[in-house]
Amino acid sequence: MKKKVGIIACSGENLIGGTLSRMAARIVVEKLRPNQTIILCQPLFMAGNLEKHGGQEERDFAKNHPTITIEGCEEECAKIAVNRYSGPPSATIYIQEYIDAHPEVKTNSREELGEEGINIAEIIAEDIAKKVDKLYGTK
Amino acid sequence: MSEKKVYIIPCSGIGKVFGSISREIAYILVNDLAKDKTALECLPLIVKGKKEVIETLKENKIIAIDGCPLKCSYNDLIEAVGKVDAQFMTTDIVKENRDLKPEPSIIPIGDKTKKLSRKLAQKIALKVDDLLEEN
Repeated sequence: MKKKVGIIACSGENLIGGTLSRMAARIVVEKLRPNQTIILCQPLFMAGNLEKHGGQEERDFAKNHPTITIEGCEEECAKIAVNRYSGPPSATIYIQEYIDAHPEVKTNSREELGEEGINIAEIIAEDIAKKVDKLYGTK
Repeated sequence: MSEKKVYIIPCSGIGKVFGSISREIAYILVNDLAKDKTALECLPLIVKGKKEVIETLKENKIIAIDGCPLKCSYNDLIEAVGKVDAQFMTTDIVKENRDLKPEPSIIPIGDKTKKLSRKLAQKIALKVDDLLEEN
């Protein structure tokens, strides 16, 4: 059986990049590549004291499967976490690059993307799906 | 000295709707019910150990809002900051309101999920006031 690709979005609430990362991740796992991908919960992945509280499964999955991290800002929280606990991610998506590439698009806010924001999330998701196609079944 | 805030830290989960409720509550608090009294910070950034963020949290009150029994927000905060001043579970408000079963949609959330979020946000807003009075 081919190995699924783990999608790890930064998930941060403070910036619109986090909102876009979540939306793009959900589009990939729900609509574009539902049978080839799985969401890995970023906070659970990073949770301390995992042996006591559970969550080791996320790290083990990322060790043994290809992973794509989605970064909402320059802090690279998802990439750093995967790298620290499971080895380097197979690919990384930087949301800021898409925001910069589409200055004409006005996203509503970190709380509500609005129609144009959702359009950007769909563009990001399409690119993630292309990476999934390359990675699915590897590792 | 800057004015004290209560930091609202939702679990940030995107695998189930209960994480979405925690996020919605955080936004309701910082934008509406406890505007100017509360602030948000990214949980992943906290766990990463960003120094200035950790220092700010240590100097202010913190409320963790979790969406599942693994309590990522609470446990991550204890690990990274060393304290949590109050904690809430979104599953509790679901249990208390059986007539408002949340829709499964994670993004966007449904109307019942929004109503549940506001109900718990109202409770947490009271806690925000309590915590600020302690300062």
